[in-house]
Amino acid sequence: MSALICEVVYRGIFQKNLASRITRGIVLSARKAGRWGIAFGRYGDSPQRNGIPAKDFAIVADTKEELEQNMARYEPKHVDVTICVDDTLSKGVESWAWYGLQPINKLTVPNGTLLMTSLQSPESLLKDIHKKDAPYKLSLIPAKASFAGLWVYREDHTEVRILGALAKIAPDFLTLDAVSQAIKESEWGSDLKVASAKKAYERIETREIKMTEGNGEIPFSFEMPKWWEMREGVTIPAIPVGKPKEAGKGYVPERNPYFKKYTTRTMRPVIDFDTCVKCNLCWISCPDSVFDVMPDGTFDAAMEACCGCGVCEAVCPVEHCVTMVNEQAFDDNASQWEMWRKDKAAYKTWLGTKIADKKTTVRSHGFRFRGQYDQELKAELDSGGVEITAGIPGENAAHKTV
Amino acid sequence: MADATFSNATQVLEPFRGIKKVTIEEYFTSGHRTCQGCESALIMKLMVKAAGPRTIVLGSTGCMYVANTTYYTTPWVVPWMHTQLGSSGSAALGTAAGLKALMKKGKMKAESINVIAFCGDGGGADMGLNGISATLTHKDYNCLILLYDNESYANTDIQLSGMTPYGANTTFSPPGKVIRNIHTRWKKNMAGMMAAGHPECRYVATVCGSYAVEMMNKVRRALTIGGPTFIHSLDPCPKGWDYDPMLSHEMGELAIETGLFPLYEVEDGVVKYYGKTKALIEGRKRKPVREYLLKQGRFAHFTEEDLGYFQAKVDEMWEKWEIPAVIPFRRLDASKAALEVK
Repeated sequence: MSALICEVVYRGIFQKNLASRITRGIVLSARKAGRWGIAFGRYGDSPQRNGIPAKDFAIVADTKEELEQNMARYEPKHVDVTICVDDTLSKGVESWAWYGLQPINKLTVPNGTLLMTSLQSPESLLKDIHKKDAPYKLSLIPAKASFAGLWVYREDHTEVRILGALAKIAPDFLTLDAVSQAIKESEWGSDLKVASAKKAYERIETREIKMTEGNGEIPFSFEMPKWWEMREGVTIPAIPVGKPKEAGKGYVPERNPYFKKYTTRTMRPVIDFDTCVKCNLCWISCPDSVFDVMPDGTFDAAMEACCGCGVCEAVCPVEHCVTMVNEQAFDDNASQWEMWRKDKAAYKTWLGTKIADKKTTVRSHGFRFRGQYDQELKAELDSGGVEITAGIPGENAAHKTV
Repeated sequence: MADATFSNATQVLEPFRGIKKVTIEEYFTSGHRTCQGCESALIMKLMVKAAGPRTIVLGSTGCMYVANTTYYTTPWVVPWMHTQLGSSGSAALGTAAGLKALMKKGKMKAESINVIAFCGDGGGADMGLNGISATLTHKDYNCLILLYDNESYANTDIQLSGMTPYGANTTFSPPGKVIRNIHTRWKKNMAGMMAAGHPECRYVATVCGSYAVEMMNKVRRALTIGGPTFIHSLDPCPKGWDYDPMLSHEMGELAIETGLFPLYEVEDGVVKYYGKTKALIEGRKRKPVREYLLKQGRFAHFTEEDLGYFQAKVDEMWEKWEIPAVIPFRRLDASKAALEVK
């Protein structure tokens, strides 16, 4: 008599279809193993937004009664396995709802498992993953974060590799045979995908994490008002208008004190203040009012507000003046302008190393043109990856590629 | 007594002469829960930047309500109120009338306050059409209605609206194996309809966030002219259109350059094209619509036949309409002449 509770932490919209395939796959595998299961999304995350972290859950139980007992909760408070399908979420999760920053391993039970897709080493990830007051296991599947949009799915086998790994982590609930059978029978399954799941089962690497390991920083949080402190008629205080940066020059807007976007982005802009032509385009085109006006007329990107869309890089007329770089290359949210002002030569070196690394500047944020995912996956296959099948959610749609 | 000080005058907002002259202050700031690359959030920022601090903003249900003001937090600096899905028109009119009455009675200091109601395409072009239409006939009240059109009910995860383009993939129109295009209706011509149908509305314009300064100047013009006015904004939506959020700006430019969405203003009944659209009218070649469509996942199922149909419909807007891309009427003699040529 027992139950297995899993959460999938993912990037809203970009990985929505991926997460629902994983949780559905868990339930279908559970049925093949003679158990009961349910998959559902977190109510507070809906409607989802591109990039903003979201969660789906899957619960597997030996009996229907036990399943119902677990379903009676609004959402699980503890999970046996946390599945994280984008390693930049190791910095924490700021959901759509009003929570502040939550460590990725917050809901993981003592001695539970954090299963991640990542090309980073455990040591590198532990610089970001917050310390936990209990030991747990970190399991890694070597893979890039799989991002796609709502309509065109990226068939890179991530969903089945997670399922295969899960059979290794929780064999009492999901056997490899059950997982293989469920994959084969599902509308998006194939023999090739079963092979991928089996490979993941064999190759998954797990490491015990001690209580002393991890990022010691205290996550961003705030005091939520009690219901009796709320104002009549659901009124909300407005944000005050901002102030000049210093000595009456420049401008820094006030910002929503409760919703910070530190972890809603997977990339951030790195700015070359020396080549900036002060054209104002990044400032005016940013949907999130990220760019603070500096006294010298350049613009500093406020990391608390940036959700990493990259429109600033797209509109900037100067080459390499604004470059989007993956979050894994950064350990803090410090002001780039202050760093530049303090030591311009050192900043230039810092900037050079950040934007030179192809691994962290390559972008994969969804659909750009028809056939793009197939091309990308073919390139990966040529360098030794697994073969993939083209298609969209629910079918192998040959007619969709003209 | 208070009557003496009350006037129905609007704020006089001169156009920004270039990007360097734009107001530095933000009245819609950071900390909203919109998607990466959300052009509608950009429109909110530009709209209220153009309008200035003495402005009241009213939002009907949609992304720009739900994502901007949830869980007791807000990015708004100016006063803001939520109104129901279909009621942006009545909220705008009611607020303008309320301010007028309070000022006339001397209960409020007499001054010109901008009233802007915004609505999405679902809230505005589908549900709220009747309220907006009624408001545009009340010529004694100063209010602007801004329709931010992301071409679907984007907030609730992309259902079909009357503004969704032909053939697009939505949760209500998934392309299937038997029927490729579930959605076969052509999009409403909102701005043209508003301009043609409301002879006492003095200003109607179309805008796009990719042309930020021009967009802000249209808002300033609408607020300065006064009476009920209407602006239609086309907002690329990375979530519903399925493209890399980095391309939001480019997607807006392509919509204009392909001629799919024209930029124009109708002031006191006179149509004036502006920006890239003006260049198209003056003879610059339109880009083929496929350049725009094939960059979006929602059209990934399109065949050559669909692309051809789409292009032909856009060509018709430019070549057959009496006022190109604005009003779809044709004069009888012109169409006869066209027949004779054939």
